[in-house]
Amino acid sequence: MRLITAIIFALTSLTSAADHEGERLFALKVRGILNAKCLACHGESGKKLKGELDLSSRAAMLKGGESEEASVVPGKPLASPLYLAATREHEDDWSAMPPKENDKLTVSQLAVLKRWIELGALWPDAKTQARYITEERAKTVTAEGVLVKTSGGTSEDWTYRRYKPEDVWAFQPVVKPKVPQGAANPIDAFVNRKLKSAGFASAPQANFRTLVKRAYYDLTGLPPTPFEIFQFRQAWDEDPAKAWSALIDQLLASPHYGERWGQHWLDVARYADTGGYSNDYERSNMWRYRDYVIRAFNDDKPYDEFIREQIAGDELADASLRRRITDWGKFQAARQNGMQYNDREVQQLVASSFLRIGPWDPAMVKKPQARQIYLDDVVNAVGETFLSTTMRCFKCHDHKFDPLPTRDYYRMYAVFEPTQLAERNVPFAKNENRTGFKKSQQATQRLVAFATEKHNALYNKQETSARAWYAKAGTKYLDEKARQKLPDEEKPPRHVGLSPEEQGRKKVRRQDEWIWQRRLERYQPLAQSVYNGPVPNFLNARKLRMNARANNKWRPDSRILGGGALEAPGAKVTPGVLSALGVPVAGAEQADAFQIPDALDGRRLALADWIASPANPITARSIVNRVWQQHFGQPLAANPNNFGAKGGKPTHPKLLDWLAADFVEHGWKFKRLHRHIMLSETYRQSSRHPQAAKLAVSDLNNHLFAYHAPRRLSAEELRDSLLKATGELNPAVGGLPVMPEINMEVALQPRMIQFSLSPAYQPSRTPAERNRRTIYAYRVRGQANPFLETFNQPNPNDSCEARVAETVTPQVFTLLNSDIMSDRAIALALRAEKEFDTLHLQVKRAVQLAYGRVPDKVEWERLKQYVTKMRAYHAKHKPTPVKYPTAITRSLVEELTGQPFEYEEILPVFEDYVRDKKPADVSVETRALADLCLLLFNSNEFMYVY
Amino acid sequence: MNIPTLQRRDFLYGLGSSLGALAVTDLMAKENAGPLAPKAPMHTPKAKNVIMLFMEGGPSQVDTFDPKPKLNALHKTESKSTRGLETGFKFYVGSPFKSRKVGQSGLEMSDQWQHLPEVADELCNYRGCTAESLNHPEALFHMNTGSRLGADPALGAWVNYGLGSVNQNLPGYVVMTELALPQGGSRNWSNGFLPGHFQGTRLRPTGSPILDLHAPVHKTRAHQRAALEELAFLNQRHAAKHPGHKDLATRMASYELAFHMQAEVPGVIDLKGEPEHVRKAYGMDSKETTEFGHQCLMARRLVEKGVRFVQIFSGGWDSHDYLERGHASRIRSVDQPMTALIKDLKERGMLEDPLVIWTGEFGRTPDNNKRGGVYSLGRGHNADAMTMLLAGGGVKKGAIVGATDEIGAKAVDVAHPIRDLHVTLLHLLGLDDNKLTYFHAGRYKQLSQFGGQVIKELIA
Repeated sequence: MRLITAIIFALTSLTSAADHEGERLFALKVRGILNAKCLACHGESGKKLKGELDLSSRAAMLKGGESEEASVVPGKPLASPLYLAATREHEDDWSAMPPKENDKLTVSQLAVLKRWIELGALWPDAKTQARYITEERAKTVTAEGVLVKTSGGTSEDWTYRRYKPEDVWAFQPVVKPKVPQGAANPIDAFVNRKLKSAGFASAPQANFRTLVKRAYYDLTGLPPTPFEIFQFRQAWDEDPAKAWSALIDQLLASPHYGERWGQHWLDVARYADTGGYSNDYERSNMWRYRDYVIRAFNDDKPYDEFIREQIAGDELADASLRRRITDWGKFQAARQNGMQYNDREVQQLVASSFLRIGPWDPAMVKKPQARQIYLDDVVNAVGETFLSTTMRCFKCHDHKFDPLPTRDYYRMYAVFEPTQLAERNVPFAKNENRTGFKKSQQATQRLVAFATEKHNALYNKQETSARAWYAKAGTKYLDEKARQKLPDEEKPPRHVGLSPEEQGRKKVRRQDEWIWQRRLERYQPLAQSVYNGPVPNFLNARKLRMNARANNKWRPDSRILGGGALEAPGAKVTPGVLSALGVPVAGAEQADAFQIPDALDGRRLALADWIASPANPITARSIVNRVWQQHFGQPLAANPNNFGAKGGKPTHPKLLDWLAADFVEHGWKFKRLHRHIMLSETYRQSSRHPQAAKLAVSDLNNHLFAYHAPRRLSAEELRDSLLKATGELNPAVGGLPVMPEINMEVALQPRMIQFSLSPAYQPSRTPAERNRRTIYAYRVRGQANPFLETFNQPNPNDSCEARVAETVTPQVFTLLNSDIMSDRAIALALRAEKEFDTLHLQVKRAVQLAYGRVPDKVEWERLKQYVTKMRAYHAKHKPTPVKYPTAITRSLVEELTGQPFEYEEILPVFEDYVRDKKPADVSVETRALADLCLLLFNSNEFMYVY
Repeated sequence: MNIPTLQRRDFLYGLGSSLGALAVTDLMAKENAGPLAPKAPMHTPKAKNVIMLFMEGGPSQVDTFDPKPKLNALHKTESKSTRGLETGFKFYVGSPFKSRKVGQSGLEMSDQWQHLPEVADELCNYRGCTAESLNHPEALFHMNTGSRLGADPALGAWVNYGLGSVNQNLPGYVVMTELALPQGGSRNWSNGFLPGHFQGTRLRPTGSPILDLHAPVHKTRAHQRAALEELAFLNQRHAAKHPGHKDLATRMASYELAFHMQAEVPGVIDLKGEPEHVRKAYGMDSKETTEFGHQCLMARRLVEKGVRFVQIFSGGWDSHDYLERGHASRIRSVDQPMTALIKDLKERGMLEDPLVIWTGEFGRTPDNNKRGGVYSLGRGHNADAMTMLLAGGGVKKGAIVGATDEIGAKAVDVAHPIRDLHVTLLHLLGLDDNKLTYFHAGRYKQLSQFGGQVIKELIA
């Protein structure tokens, strides 16, 4: 009996071993696969089953769906439709599942499924499953990956899911690695180690001419002049190392450094001068933020301070003001009026423009939605910009790939919930450029006056008819506003006395009046800023002002919005930060280290402090990665806005960490980092590698940094370089947006805005005003500058983590045929002619100004011959003179009536316009030389930096 | 089209490729296959091209193809609806137009449609589509790009990405607008995150059809040829110093390509060769219909030459007031041209190739509020119901699919969001939205954003 029992027991435990594996596999893996890949269509409660197949229980699974075949045959994966469909290799019998290619099971998931079926497709009860799961969760690291502690997901499966360590690299603390031996500069040490292990040596140093051009472009976005090259050559001949170091210092001290690196920041931040969408209202004085950014780089503002000012500048400024004005009422009055802010507070308030830089307009959107659109945008902007984290990815659900629970999204969201947008009164600081205010104001007033006069005339005509109506009715006249609310029968019809055309015109004029009146705001001391308070009763992007007296007891009801929907508010959340980074909020309670106090003020400052904390693992990595990218053409981690599992992994993780740690250790200073990078041998490499052919096979994208990758000029560099070469560039820094010439067809092309057409684009009046650096060009969301757009200036509606430089045919049309290019070519020709008398020397000078070198003999001869030929050509071909219109007739379909109507718009700038020299304004000789200049500007030597 | 003999150089550069916003960056690598080289569809397609007639502003369903007698009975009575943007006192607005059944199939059309009844039996009227945004640019972005944010690739860009274009000498995606751009501008035909080759090329209605297509008149073609020779000289010497820098050759090639394009585009867009009766049929002899007629005729020519996706924007449908005048005038301007387009395609035996879609960005409300204190007879924006027409390309003929409620306020039958419409259009073209993906910013993106379903009821 005993023996029999023993045998039975042995048999049971024998089966158990396999069962154990099968059950464990189900609990830990198969269940998850079914949940993620199958149940949405085959077993989510309350939803119709697809193909009548239910996979939510073993019994249902064995029953199968409309095919009437069991979907799993225990023990026989190759006879199990579930498995066959998942392999996607038996589509003749079983269509591939899940249907979406991107959802397909991975090789290892397929192996799990197969093994589980082989083991009998066991499906343990809930209690047993729970036991296996609890056992597993006790282990932080397993072969499956690591657990990352967070504030918790919406499901336990998510909270306890495991990550491949390499996928969560950015969430791990930065530990300054030891520098490998063998190189003086740590950058070279890290780069060379990897190069060496790949069997390559670095490229030799580039020649002085390449280096000087590279340095100028990288640090200032402008080419060196021939004289600057000459100066550098002299120093180089004496002592190359000293010359190079001095050049870097000199360029870092140039005001153009801030313009170049400010542009990189504005790409990420999405700078534009208007708000986008239907109205595309100007954001008055947004340029103050642009100039703040430029100054921040020029002044080498520590990055942590740069972060704090942009996320919480208004809170910093108000806290500072409060320290000076202790009386609460007086303090509130001072905030509202703004005139008592000091220069430091001014720049902090201006910095907070970052929080309202995205496209946003609440027109035709209900208030809660408009707020949600804003909040989603600002949360994502802060995440992408400072934390290299795409926040949108966990707005609707816990993050699919990264340890970012949707709770943390709404904690960050709660940080911004009291943030209200406003143009605040902020006096102009001494260092802000206010040149041209008066003239520009006068020009605007002229446009206001014209629109007002036209509008009034139509209004008066209407009211004359209205008076007649009242006279006939025998009642007292009331003006349009006064009678608006009266019943129909007690007042004259709308638009009485106006034809449909006149009705349309009246509306356009009214709109123009608003547009130009509003433009006058530019000359008031306003800054695009924010304040904390309840949501105002009424939102209109045309005018958003601070209400310092608003209820400061108000707190938002912050909740997780299920599926990102306002209609599905879920659990309450407190303001907080991203828990997966493991960095506590300063001063937070032990119980929840990632929580921010829910006071009305100070939420953003707490967030900013947390981001700018030296302990934050992402912040410094994020910014040094961006700086590296702009020096080498590609970042160390491929997606500067996304360090998550789906972003590119760092090619040199240790180098990235070393740079990040070093950056923080030395006070978050950019200029030091630039020096460090540019002094490295890696940076000074030639773009030609002795083993180029081999590298092209083994390292096509130069992830080894074995040579210096050439790059095409960016849109801004291209325009600025043209102006620099021709000598037309006005190097003034900062101030009101400037209006460069753009293609005239586009300038005068009607553009729909809400209810009307936007006024035509009028370039700045004089060359000096127009020919400023491109960063100062007016950036309108609804009207891209066609020249810049063609050369890949990014759409400011989306953060740009990396410029592209695709070659497309419209670039050719622009470079060969546009007026802008023709004008630059003539300007260069005129300059060469002014400086030198003979064709021989003029050709030499043109080449020198365009390329930074003199032509060799062969080129020189041939180009001279070309110009000579062109002289003969132009002697026979006369260009047409150019005329600029001072008014245009525009046509619009009146939306209320469907009838087209016309109206005249004035273009006062062209009344006394100082135009560039056009073909018809110059001699045959100049036109011939300009033909050459145009080709120089079109050529690859001009377009690429090596 | 008259394709000029390609030069030897073109073959060296791997050309014979495309016009328009053709990017040639990776052309060299792919040898003779341009980025717009035709690709096999994912399954047997029912349509080869798309002509999308986009009625910007939001045409009213109840005043065009979806009549509601109940609404007429409620005319000027109070509406308690809280939908739409209008607030305060609202009242119902009956249709100013009479409706009637037309064709064999009995499709319903308001009496303003004078020509369209002739092709009623070719049309499928879909009444179930729902939008999301009540704001023009966002709704336009949504219908055109699948996203309301205005930064994603347009439908036409996705289609070209998926299928390429059969004519390598024309852009694969052509857009025609009125003189004024629709709200949101070129973001409506943007390549978004897809490579630049796929962006819509706008043929401008006046001036240069493509910006700066031609040199100033005092520079002849021979002058330009000489300039290109000189440029090649400079570039070749530069290339010799920078072997292995492959972008150099690509840029050089782009100049040759542009030179050909300059010669070819004018021929394609010149309608002088079209016989008088054809121009007349499209309404090019009447002021009201001439612009849309011109564009519809151009659409036929482009599709005939293999352009994959043609889009025409026609504005002015935003009738918040004076609906009777506004819609009547808009209908008059498109009625004859679009009828002629469908007839012409059919007569040429090619109606099955292109899928013709007539739609706006959303529909209109059955009610309105007062404007200036007056009962204004117009309609607000409505994301819950709209109406569209489809023809050719494998959709049902003479059919009404889906339904709105009894006052046309809300889609109630075969109701689908825009993403499902997009998935259906791709499906008809032989593309599977779930497989037509592009890796961007850490995610495989697709037109429908998160997947959608085919609206089977629309398919013949």
